[in-house]
Parts: sequence; structure tokens; C-alpha cells
Amino acid sequence: MPWLLLARNLTARPLRSALTVGSLLIAVFLVLFLRSVVVALGSGVEAASQSRLIVQSAVSLFVNLPLSYQQKIERVEGVGPMTKLQWFGGYYQDPSNFFAQFAVDEERLLDAYPEIELVEGSYEQFLAVKNGCLIGTDLATKFGWRVGDTVPLIGALYSRQDGSTWDFQVTGIYRSKAANLDSRTLWFHFEYLEDTLESGAASGPEGVGVWILRLERGADATRVMSAIDGLFINGPQRVQTTTESEFQKQFVTMLGSVPTLLTSIGGGVLFAILLAVLNTMLMAARERTRSLGILKALGFGDGTAFALLLGESLLLCLIGGLLGLALYGLAAPGFSAFLTSAGFPPLVLDGESVLIGVVLALLVGLVAGIAPAIRAARLEVIDALAAEV
Amino acid sequence: MTAPDDSAIIDVRGVTKIYRRGGETLVVLDALDLHIPRGGFVALMGPSGSGKSTLLNLIGGLDRGDAGSVRVCGSELTQLSTGKLADWRAAHVGFVFQGFNLLPVLNAQSNVELPLLLTRLSRGDRKRRARAALALVGLEDRRRHRPSQLSGGQEQRVAIARALVSDPELILADEPTGNLDRESADSVMALLAELNAGSGKTILMVTHDPRAAAAASTVVHLDKGQLGRIETGAQFAASQQSLSGS
Repeated sequence: MPWLLLARNLTARPLRSALTVGSLLIAVFLVLFLRSVVVALGSGVEAASQSRLIVQSAVSLFVNLPLSYQQKIERVEGVGPMTKLQWFGGYYQDPSNFFAQFAVDEERLLDAYPEIELVEGSYEQFLAVKNGCLIGTDLATKFGWRVGDTVPLIGALYSRQDGSTWDFQVTGIYRSKAANLDSRTLWFHFEYLEDTLESGAASGPEGVGVWILRLERGADATRVMSAIDGLFINGPQRVQTTTESEFQKQFVTMLGSVPTLLTSIGGGVLFAILLAVLNTMLMAARERTRSLGILKALGFGDGTAFALLLGESLLLCLIGGLLGLALYGLAAPGFSAFLTSAGFPPLVLDGESVLIGVVLALLVGLVAGIAPAIRAARLEVIDALAAEV
Repeated sequence: MTAPDDSAIIDVRGVTKIYRRGGETLVVLDALDLHIPRGGFVALMGPSGSGKSTLLNLIGGLDRGDAGSVRVCGSELTQLSTGKLADWRAAHVGFVFQGFNLLPVLNAQSNVELPLLLTRLSRGDRKRRARAALALVGLEDRRRHRPSQLSGGQEQRVAIARALVSDPELILADEPTGNLDRESADSVMALLAELNAGSGKTILMVTHDPRAAAAASTVVHLDKGQLGRIETGAQFAASQQSLSGS
């Protein structure tokens, strides 16, 4: 195999090769980027705990349930530790500084979410301070908050009568030990929210958004879900109990066909690039006709002609693909920071991405190179030597 | 069918080549016989369309005839598969073309090395032999030049170096001086004559150029696909002189 010739052919038309490599670079980068967004959107679903159930209103997630339901639910066989989870919907200084805040049963939080691991402060302090809160490490890093700091939040859903902020004291910083729970959430006492509402100092929806409960070991999730739903079948409000995975899927469904759209865009880009590379390789094959004839006249076989053309296509695409991967590797942290600041999950840069990038690049190289390579192999020496180019 | 002539390096018998274009058939070679002994230097001459290049291509295993036998360097080429024919070309024949046919992306040294990639020689040996072949044609100092940086005469000498680098028994040259000026043509012919006389290579050369043909030991004339007059190079040169004199 004349490797030197293969290398020289690659650089014979530097601009054309560079453009081909560039198009593969962009294609692989875009496909990986879009895939990561799709994966990130669905990551909560995939990582959802199998032993955790969510109880919400059967009407809508945005309809609160009566507080009194809790005691009835707790008595269902198979139900383990449970906590209220109430969306607070506030923001820090500016609506663009948006992050999740939940009011929870403070003493049951760690039972419901064993993924929470405190890295600073203490749980006891969190329990002791009425307006205490736990914040994730990402939040602490982003806003520079430390244990002991006061976090003033403007309540969008729960506004204070005097227009002042809700002040939470950071009593602990946690990190998440599992992918299903992020490190960008603020947890605070449900009791604090409830008392403030009862005192008339603030207004907002009363009741509970959802309950999070863990199944007892060996409990049958389907049976427990039916039992809970059955408790309130005659009202006053019906409930819908789902697994955490189903619950997470609702949010992905809310995005409508965004994941499908993103996947389609990625596929479209890839197909367009495939046609461009195919055109390049057909041009290259035409230009190499005489050279291939010379090689065959010298005694090189049809297999060498095939390998030269296919190798050129594969190498061009592989170089483009690897550069696309490198660009993705460089850009992913920046994109992640941007996405997480907007409330999206971070981009996923994993071994699978690398594999997908390399395989996609080689696949484009193979599909674009196979027809010119077959043509090269079938060339008759005499015809090839008589070619104009 | 008579037994093959083992003394001949080229033994062509009853070879026919027909081109079909549209509804038309054109007989380019018509049951032609040709025997060339080892060590010969033969010029094939004839008008355009007489079948010279077609015959050269059949002898070089670049093309196949429609009938007849083509026995070259002990192998019956009509019996070889495409792959075996490629191996045979690599082992037995060196080609010199009118258009030089060097690969434009490779320098002179790499062009000359190409046939050696099909041998078991080490990289170092390949380089040494290619350099020696270039030295033989007087272009060792141009080995790093690409074809576009060489004159026509130099390109043809690189092509000759490539043709002889794997030490083939037979060198087939198709109009080797066709694209060269007089001085370069003379230099190329002197080189081919030296390869024949000094190294014992058998050379079969297609040419229109009477001066080039006069350098051969035998001149074979072809006309309408059939063998014509056969004369020595000296006889041909004398007849040319008398023509130019009259």
C-alpha cells in the first residue's frame, strides 16, 4: 500500500481537504451538542429512583392538594418516609437569576432524598433555624454564598404583603450523590412558608404541590400507587401517584417535540455533510483516474486502488470528526455553564459521545468513499491511462 | 497450433483485436504474429491507427486481445486473471510512456520507488535502489523535485529510472520521445540504447520518430493491423538518409 501517496493525495488540494475536514468538524460538533442537550433533557428520567413515588393532583401539577391528605397517605402499607414538596418560584435580585426552591418537611428531607450529602454546615443547624436553608454546591459557587449568609429571595408565587424579600439563612451546603438530583436547588422549611402565610405576612397558594415518598423495602410500587389513588377517588380532590421516572417524563413532555426536533436537525446536518463529502470524493476519484491507471500499469492491484480512495475518504472524515470532538470537548464546559445558569441540566461529555463522534465520522467516510472506491477498483488500465486528468 | 518459441521473450501468435463502437467494428490487429528474441531492441513503426500501441499494450498485459496467443517472459498472458496479470507486470515489465505518466503529487525519488513497494525490499533498500536508478539516468540531484519542477526530458528520464528500478527483463516504451525536443529525445534514446547494450534489457519501442527508430537494432513496420517490412536499424537509417538526400 503506497501510504505516502495516500498522504500526498490528502494534501494535493489543501483548500478542498480543509473544507471537507471543516464540514465534518462542524457536523460532529453539532450532532454531539444536540445529542447532549437531548440526553441532558432526559437525564432526570433515566436516573430517576425506582423506589420513590410522587403524589400530585390528578387535575394538574399546578393544583395544590389539602394538607390533611398526608396522614392518610402515611398509613398506606408500603409507604416509607415522605415529605411535602412545594414549589416556591422565587428569584434572587433579578428574574434571570432563576433556580429551583422547594419548601419541604425539613426533618424528613434526608430520608426522602438520601442522595443529599452535606459538605458544609450541618443538618442539625438546618433543623434548628426556622428560616434556614440548604443550598447545592453549584448555587453556592455561582452566587458565592457561604454558610451563615442570608439569601434574600423575591417571591414571585408567594409575595410578601410589605413587598420585602424572603430571607433565608444558609445553614448547609450539599452535593448530590446521584444524577437524578441536581446541586442547584434551595430547600427550606415548609413550616416557615406555612406560618408566614397563616400570619398574613404573605400570600400564595395554600396546601401542598406534591408529596415525595419512598417505598418500604419489598413494597410493590404498583399496589401502593393504586392504594393511594384509591383513598381519594371520591374527592374532595383526586390524586395521581406516579413513579419518579414518570413524574420526570412530564417535564420532558412539556418541552413537546423539542428532543425530536433537535435529533432531526442533527440528522439533517449529517446528511447534508454526507452529500458534500460524497461530491468531494467523486471529484477526487475523477482527478485520480490517470494516477490510478499508472499504479495499475506498474502492477498495483484493484484492491490498492480501492483502498486509496476509501482510505482518503475515511481519513479526511476521521480528522474532521476528531477535530469536532476536540472542539466539543473545549466548548462543552462553557455551554454547560450557560445552560445550567438558564436552569437546564449540564451537557454530558462522556465516552459514549467520543464513540458516537468517531463512528459517525467513519460512517460518513465509508458511505461517501465506497462508490468512488469501487469505481477506482473497476477502472481498466487502458481507459484510466487515456483519461484527461 | 505450433509449440511456443522459448528463445523469444515475446511470442505473439495470431493475435486479433477488434474495437466495437456503436454498430461499427474496427479490426486493429488482424491475426498478427511477432517474435522478439531476448536482448533485442525493436522499434515498432507505422502510421496512426496501424495498431502499434494496441500491440504494445497487449504485450505489456495492459489490455487483452480477442483472439490469439500472447506469450511474454514465459507467461501466456491470455490465461492470467486481472490480479495475476498485475503481479506479472510488476515482476517482468518496465513501462515508459509518451506522456511520462509520473504521479504529480510525488517527487522523483518517490515516483521511482513506487514499483519497489510491490517487492519485499526494506525501506532502506528501496531508497538506495531508487537513488541508484536516478543516478543512472543522471538525475540524482533532482530526486526531491516534483514532476512539475522538471523539464520534459528530465521527466522522461525519471520515468525510465522507474521502469528499470525493479530490474525487469522487458522495457516497453510508447513514443518515449514524442513529447521531447531533439536534444532531450537524443539523450533518452542514448539511455535506452545503453540499457539494451549494457544491461541486456529487451526493449520494444513504439515510435513515429525516425531518429529514435534508427537507434534500435530492428525496425518492424505495422500497417492496418498486420506485420509489414522488418529491417535492421542500420538499414532503416540508411533508407531514411537516402530519402532525405533525394
